[in-house]
Amino acid sequence: MRVRTSLVRVWAYASMALVLAALVFLFGYVFWQGKDVITWEFLSTAPSGSVLGSEGGIWPAIVGSLCFTLTAVVLGAIPAIATALYLVFYCRSRRLQSAIHLVIQNIAGIPSIVLGLFAYSLLVREFAWGRCVLSAGVALAIMVLPFIEVRAEKAFRELPDALVQSACALGCSKLYTIRTIVLPACRGELVSGVILGACYAMGATAPLMFTGGVAYASLPASLTKPAMALPLHLYLLLAQGTSMPQAYGTAFVLMVIVLVSNALATGYARRRNRTWKQP
Amino acid sequence: MRTIGNFLFSNLIKLLTLLTVLSLAFVLIFIVQEALPAFSETSLTAFLFGQRWMPMDYGNGVSFGIGNFIAGTLAVSALAILIALLIGVGAAVFLSCAVSENARSLLYPLIDLLAGIPSVIYGFIGLCVLVKLFQRLGIAGSGHSVLTAAILLAVMLLPFLVSSCSETMLKIRRRYLPAASALGISYWHTVAHVVLPLSARNILLSVILATGRAMGETMAVMMVMGNANLFPTLLGKGETIASLIALEMGTAAAGSTHYHALYAAGLVLLVILLAINTGIALLRRRLLRQEGA
Repeated sequence: MRVRTSLVRVWAYASMALVLAALVFLFGYVFWQGKDVITWEFLSTAPSGSVLGSEGGIWPAIVGSLCFTLTAVVLGAIPAIATALYLVFYCRSRRLQSAIHLVIQNIAGIPSIVLGLFAYSLLVREFAWGRCVLSAGVALAIMVLPFIEVRAEKAFRELPDALVQSACALGCSKLYTIRTIVLPACRGELVSGVILGACYAMGATAPLMFTGGVAYASLPASLTKPAMALPLHLYLLLAQGTSMPQAYGTAFVLMVIVLVSNALATGYARRRNRTWKQP
Repeated sequence: MRTIGNFLFSNLIKLLTLLTVLSLAFVLIFIVQEALPAFSETSLTAFLFGQRWMPMDYGNGVSFGIGNFIAGTLAVSALAILIALLIGVGAAVFLSCAVSENARSLLYPLIDLLAGIPSVIYGFIGLCVLVKLFQRLGIAGSGHSVLTAAILLAVMLLPFLVSSCSETMLKIRRRYLPAASALGISYWHTVAHVVLPLSARNILLSVILATGRAMGETMAVMMVMGNANLFPTLLGKGETIASLIALEMGTAAAGSTHYHALYAAGLVLLVILLAINTGIALLRRRLLRQEGA
């Protein structure tokens, strides 16, 4: 009996130490290896060199990644937050609620590569949009949709009942309650959910491999053109063995984006404002 | 004016919710539609259990069998989940039972941070560190193996396992700790003999969900598993369904049997995951009802 108790304790401490060590190692390794590659020139120029990508920078990939992410977040967050609002404030039927939950869980379960296949067959070929930012953006949007919905719904449900009920008792309409009470009170969680969703979309490679991401392109001029993306660029640099330093630099930039967006999201979620502001 | 606004808004919300629901249907319909033509060329059993994947005719005819890829997907996911379980549940015990509320609110964002790292970065570090390490130790020849991929995948699954397990453990600890300490049972004894056994069922559910995620993971696994059409062995190379699609989709001519077969492989993966997620959702509902009663 005693042995088991102390074993569990040791096991818990050791496991946590291992998890933290993995985290520190992952960031430390990339930052250490990539720190010498990062110069202003690397960040602000296009790939060049005899084998394209062996020299020069990653500027088009940074801009491309931003375009993909922005498209995905705009297309994904709006239905996600609407679904969360519907489930919490509009849907009265328990059965319908659990059916929608089931659907959302299943969307979350679709492997990202299958989303890529879907976007390729429907958007790239059937709709003849071709490989472009928009096609990949739709695939990424479906990927982040459940991610944002779950966080938004959790925020709405954690709102104190008294807040919403008082508004109803005062005769406020649903729209007015949502606009002036629910959304402002949940702003921290909503924004942080969207930022984390953006971060998730930014790091995805598989859905854009054959729907809109390309090895080399100039700065994306419109949504109907293909673009470069950081994770895909990193993968191609490695797969084609183009250049290790460039790969370390790209990974460095990706990790900085992950770190910054997570810090932002955490900071924002903490700034919750659940009580009435006294005038 | 007010009623019109409300009417429009509630319908907009309903429309967008419908769109969310329909997106799943669209994905399913289009994957099935593109997958079906493949079965005019091969039978379902030959496709699922065949071990020969020859999309180009080099004199021996073409054949599409994804048996090895299915086995590879299952093997690497199962192995990864075993490793992740060992560490993940331990870390969940730590987070839910060993630290104060303040420390917990500091540690959770770190776990989220681990979850936020893109899979291509995991693959990259796997290539630079794990594969090199395996090479130097002389295990698994080139260093690319099912085991390498499983270790990497385990790290990727950790944050998911840790956060879902620690959440249930925290609930259970809060419910039973007062009673246990009133009986004079020591804290860690309660954790080991009450909290852990009671969370077992929930841990099992999280494990199955995590296995689903592992099966859909593409980039990291593809970069370190070696990608050879072999039956997976611990130190041998292997290939997963997701890698197969990612690697060959670029070269498959649109509309060819090869192209349709890749969609069929995607469909197999999709069906497995839909079954897992639906099964878990139903099980969880039943579990909640039992706990409520």
